[in-house]
Amino acid sequence: MSDVAGAATTKRARRNGAGRYGRLGQVVNELDDRLGVAKGGRTFLDKIFPDHWSFMLGEIALYSFLVLLVTGIFLTLYYVPSSAVVTYHGPYLPLDGQRVTQAFESTVNLSFSVRAGLLMRQMHHWACDIFVGALVVHMARVFFTGAFRKPRELNWTIGVTLLTLAIANGFLGYSLPDDLVSGTGIRIAYSILLSIPLVGTYLAFWVFGGNFPGTAIIPRFFILHVLIIPLVILGLVGAHLALLVRQKHTQFPGPGREENNVVGSPMFPVFMAKTTGYLFGVSGVIALLGAFAQINPIWQFGPYDASRISYAVQPDFYMGFLDGALRIFPAWSFMGFGHTIPLEVTIPAVILPGLLFGLAYAWPALERRVTGDHAIHHLLDRPSWRPKRTAAGVAALALLSALFIASSTDVIANFFHVSLNTVLWAMRVIVVLSPFVAYPITYKICKELQGVHGAGKRKTPNLVLRTDEGEYVAEPTPAYPEDVHQELEPTPVPTFIEEAGVEAEAATPGVRIVER
Amino acid sequence: MRRPPLTRLSLAAVAAAFALGPLALFAGAAGAAPGPFQTTRHNAGTPNSSQVTRDASGQIVSYGNKWITYNAPSPALAQLGQALYMENCASCHGTKANGVPAAGTVGAYPNLVGLGPATIDFWIVSGRMPAADPAAVQAPRRQPRLTPTQAEAIAAWVNSLSPSYPYIPDPHLKRANVATGMALFALNCAACHTIEGDGDALAYSTFAPSLRHIPAYQVAEAIRTGPANMPRFTGNLSDQQVNDIVAYVTRYIQHPQNPGGLGLGQLGPVAEGFVALVIGLGILALVAYWIGERA
Repeated sequence: MSDVAGAATTKRARRNGAGRYGRLGQVVNELDDRLGVAKGGRTFLDKIFPDHWSFMLGEIALYSFLVLLVTGIFLTLYYVPSSAVVTYHGPYLPLDGQRVTQAFESTVNLSFSVRAGLLMRQMHHWACDIFVGALVVHMARVFFTGAFRKPRELNWTIGVTLLTLAIANGFLGYSLPDDLVSGTGIRIAYSILLSIPLVGTYLAFWVFGGNFPGTAIIPRFFILHVLIIPLVILGLVGAHLALLVRQKHTQFPGPGREENNVVGSPMFPVFMAKTTGYLFGVSGVIALLGAFAQINPIWQFGPYDASRISYAVQPDFYMGFLDGALRIFPAWSFMGFGHTIPLEVTIPAVILPGLLFGLAYAWPALERRVTGDHAIHHLLDRPSWRPKRTAAGVAALALLSALFIASSTDVIANFFHVSLNTVLWAMRVIVVLSPFVAYPITYKICKELQGVHGAGKRKTPNLVLRTDEGEYVAEPTPAYPEDVHQELEPTPVPTFIEEAGVEAEAATPGVRIVER
Repeated sequence: MRRPPLTRLSLAAVAAAFALGPLALFAGAAGAAPGPFQTTRHNAGTPNSSQVTRDASGQIVSYGNKWITYNAPSPALAQLGQALYMENCASCHGTKANGVPAAGTVGAYPNLVGLGPATIDFWIVSGRMPAADPAAVQAPRRQPRLTPTQAEAIAAWVNSLSPSYPYIPDPHLKRANVATGMALFALNCAACHTIEGDGDALAYSTFAPSLRHIPAYQVAEAIRTGPANMPRFTGNLSDQQVNDIVAYVTRYIQHPQNPGGLGLGQLGPVAEGFVALVIGLGILALVAYWIGERA
């Protein structure tokens, strides 16, 4: 391209005229002149992210939460949070002419009569399932590698709170369509509130604005679901990430990785590309699920009515452990002091989750007290190095999984053609035994792993040679170069913003080491 | 399990009441010449207040209304039916169809006299009878061993011993209102068969069968006769309502509308949780494993 004739009018010429970083650079310059974003921006762009794949699990939760926000905003445009009874008229014949609440009617309408409404609803629901699942997996990663230790106890506490809020909000959202299945769930929640000692009846009446079902609960759940809890979650996510930036990442021990440094890729350009791609990956998987897999077909369930019930109703998976506990708990209730004491509800649905989440909150403090380890840790443990912690975590997961499986007693009995009562008793035994079986097995496996020399390293082949005398000799080949301890050559982090005429090295990809 | 004697006695009394109750209802019809059936709230599905067609000898051939026609099994088949009965049923239900097997042991098998053709027909065409395992808690639906005509023949012969109702129903589904049907299904059926009609395990090895592949007239037969644990819906459901339910079951339960994509076996949150965790989260974890460092 010639730069003589009409140079100022060609695209490239205009781009060159705008400086080395083009229009974007100009805009950032203007911003820097006014807000001074360059210094903070440089720190941000140079933030180091460890490259281990398990550090991406929390991002699944973050990005599915973004999808939840976007699809949720779409749904609020069409959903009507009202228990007022109307007659449904619409394209789905079996509901045509049935008396339903406005909440149910608007949900069916947004599924059938709003363009992309069903897709948005299904994406919202799938995103929720993936969100809670990702939180659990992320939490397991943090627990088993000891990432919650000093100084990150506060972030662990925020994380457990986020999980609690996510489960609660998932339940509220599941209840909003006011269909037959979710109405049953609200009824169970009402009974759980009632079963709380002393304050139960007052609490239940306060939450429901009177006796079940009433007309207050749908608008109340709505405002909790779309405003209050999401705001708290958003705030806590912000705090979670701010603490992450302030305290910097943990990292697995390895070549060049010490307590006083962080090894990984900088935010720009490596991690930014990676994480943006991952955002699209997460939303893409959710969109595919929303498009091709049906979830919660409320038109098949019909509207909730206290006189109707469907058998074989399970909650969404994250409430499964509660449902399972309720199902298998023996019918221990007695009358006394002029009251019914429903221990069959209080113990599995109030005390058990209280204990489990209480234990999760208290774990960092408990571990500090037991081990007497008050030091600051930035290097992670391999799970096998801490057999007792790992075994305790696996025991808790085993208990939760057993309770979760117990929420499908009927499905198991029906599928395997065994008596429902047999399944019930089997699940009682399995739930009680599972942590006590899981703990010693895990402990033993961890101990064994500790004894395996070079565990986690690739095996090298043995080279079998025949000597001139005809003798066979096996010689181990040397370790792979990547498995040998080697000092990394750190890429220096630039201390300047940018000097005119000096080629900035900030954009050089590669591993960095920064001091904490 | 040994129960206290008093409990056992009362259990036996309850069992006897359940076994004999339906028979007592038809006791008036047994033996007497078939005439206009006593009309009560408890015998919907019988010729009460409906159009009755009789043959030359005065036998009721069919009765019903614009929603369901109940047809008698052809009396001409009775002789064939007797032979088939002796071959396939008599070893348990006895040669007189009274539940007394040939050896003379009393009462272990149901008395078939006076149960009505729809009951006999339903148990045979659904493959439950002849039973594969007479000791089973509940007979499952199977590939039928006898053809529908053979079932009708046996029903004709048993009915000839003591004419009774209901006859074999033929619902007129074109007149049905599926919306009423769905509401009634949710109210009366979903508590055991589930709202999606998949059926499920009930207590002590009993179960509510799936409604997926059942012809319309058999659904109506089951509602009117109450096989096994199922309640016998007569007084609380009119023929119009039964017709509505049958229409909803055959059109929507058996052909669920899944505009949202794969129906995931209509299994609800169990299947959904599996898909979200194993497929959704699984793929994403694999992607993370792919783009991340694995050491």
